[in-house]
Amino acid sequence: MAEKINLLVSGGTTYFSDKVTISDARSANSFNSSPLSVSKLDQVEQVDGVAVASAGVTMMLDEEMPSVSMGMPPMIIGTDLRGEDYETFQVTYADGRNLSPGEVGKVVVGSDLVTKLDAEVGSTVTLRGEPFEVVGILEKTLTAPDSSVIMPLSDAQRLFQRSLPEMMQGRVDATQLATDLTVYVEPGTDPDVLATTLEASVPGISAMGPQGFKDQIGNASRLLNAIIFGIAMISLLVGGLSVINTMTMSVAERTREIGIRKAIGASHGQIVRQFLAESGFIGLLGGATGLLFGWLLTVALNAAGNDAGTALFLVTARLAVGSVLFAVFLGLVSGLYPSWHAARLNPVAALRYE
Amino acid sequence: MTLIQAVDLTKRYTLGKDNYVDALRGASVSIDAGEMVAIMGPSGSGKSTMMHILGCLDSPDGGEVWLNGRRVDTLRGRALNALRRDEVGFIFQGFNLVPTLSALDNVALAAEYAGRSRGQAVETARQTLDLVGLADRVRHMPTELSGGQQQRVAIARALVNRPAVVYGDEPTGNLDSANSVEVITMMRRINAETGTTFVLVTHDPEVAGACGRAIRMRDGEVVGLEAEVVSGREQAA
Ligand SMILES: Nc1ncnc2c1ncn2[C@@H]1O[C@H](COP(=O)(O)OP(=O)(O)O)[C@@H](O)[C@H]1O
Ligand SMILES: [Mg+2]
Repeated sequence: MAEKINLLVSGGTTYFSDKVTISDARSANSFNSSPLSVSKLDQVEQVDGVAVASAGVTMMLDEEMPSVSMGMPPMIIGTDLRGEDYETFQVTYADGRNLSPGEVGKVVVGSDLVTKLDAEVGSTVTLRGEPFEVVGILEKTLTAPDSSVIMPLSDAQRLFQRSLPEMMQGRVDATQLATDLTVYVEPGTDPDVLATTLEASVPGISAMGPQGFKDQIGNASRLLNAIIFGIAMISLLVGGLSVINTMTMSVAERTREIGIRKAIGASHGQIVRQFLAESGFIGLLGGATGLLFGWLLTVALNAAGNDAGTALFLVTARLAVGSVLFAVFLGLVSGLYPSWHAARLNPVAALRYE
Repeated sequence: MTLIQAVDLTKRYTLGKDNYVDALRGASVSIDAGEMVAIMGPSGSGKSTMMHILGCLDSPDGGEVWLNGRRVDTLRGRALNALRRDEVGFIFQGFNLVPTLSALDNVALAAEYAGRSRGQAVETARQTLDLVGLADRVRHMPTELSGGQQQRVAIARALVNRPAVVYGDEPTGNLDSANSVEVITMMRRINAETGTTFVLVTHDPEVAGACGRAIRMRDGEVVGLEAEVVSGREQAA
């Protein structure tokens, strides 16, 4: 899971590496967007270093917040396509094509949502109660676009307006709605510097460059990693204790055998080595079985998760080898005390043991 | 030549406050190289305790044990392991083979502990099993062998590092008379052929009969180093 999140984060880092994202100054957290105006585009584009600015509306695909959510929730991304020629984060199409300017009622579907929406090129999908024609399906990117539906800005603006509380709906102009502006920079301009300049020259906005994204995501993913690390540590402790328990039982069961071995001249070191080898082997067995079951579980959960829109878990070779090696190491450490205890037994007492 | 000498051995097992057993109260023995000696006496008289102390499996509370002119009751650590492995061998009433190892591996184990390579250990283990007449049983597991055969594997294991002395605690105690005779004959022959000293704690008159003499114990003391139990074999000689 941590591996999957790392990929998600590195995808985001790549995407944000060469642009500035603008959100409304009132929202402290850019993921919690509030209405921003499309009219700000002109002001933004007048600032030195800005090549082009594009308005977008981003919102949850589902009207209700999912009660349990892991990874990225499915999103609707509305775009005015103004940034198309400047975008360096290129996505490829598994089928169909990109949206073209001026189109309405058309969508491009991310790979993780294909099953959930039962989408194929040419078919109609229902999003927030409205029908849309699918014109393209994205290739898997292992990051945000996988769980997104991309639609023309005007469609997204309409959906967004309808999602607002009734008393506010009449007060906003749908064609002016935007949750974020994406600023593409001119060559040679540092996006982080530009972000500061933008905040200073355009009132009411909050601008974030690549560094800002890194800081923000860094905080979130540090917290998440800390939680996962905590769970891993608990599992480790439980696993370690059970190896210690197994080895202690094994030593007790074989007290007599240890007595025999000592009586025929086994040294302290030879006894310790024997039991350490056994506990290392238990670790290896445990690690390998754990990996197998973990992997099967991952496949099963990802299959289930695909229906819900996200493939959440990922087993990499690094993770696999690392976890088995670690299990062996854990086995060895856990076997230390029982082995040492076995080696210290008095041979006469051990031989009398029944 | 004196091989084993024990002087004034005492050993107290403390069971609780003011509750103890004096298993040995000043026992002394002297055994020559090449002898085959029985240690006899009623149950609880301290025979096993004596044997463990002579063989350095246990240490006395008082007194001294000498082996081959060297004091051994004070040995600890490496020197103690080396002595148990190279200079003495043990056989027990319950055979005490490692149940998960074949006859060959049980014997080879002792040789490997003594620092032989796996190949060398297997080679000497094979020769020693041949010496006890089990050349055709090397691959068998302990449970696949009769009691007499298991005890012969144990004898081979005790002998594989060519010790000066083999200690046995009731070596025929778990055997029927046919198997007992087989094992006694075997030890008698090895004693005669290799000059290995045997010290055997026993109740079995057959075993005592095969021994040159008996050391009698009672209440933790040696009460007679008599020649009276000496076998008909010796009287006839
Ligand atoms: N580990 C022990 N703890 C307490 N008492 C023991 C222990 N070993 C032997 N004894 C006691 O010491 C005495 C001598 O025992 P042992 O040497 O086994 O005699 P034998 O072999 O002649 O039957 C017995 O009273 C026995 O109960
Ligand atoms: Mg006894």
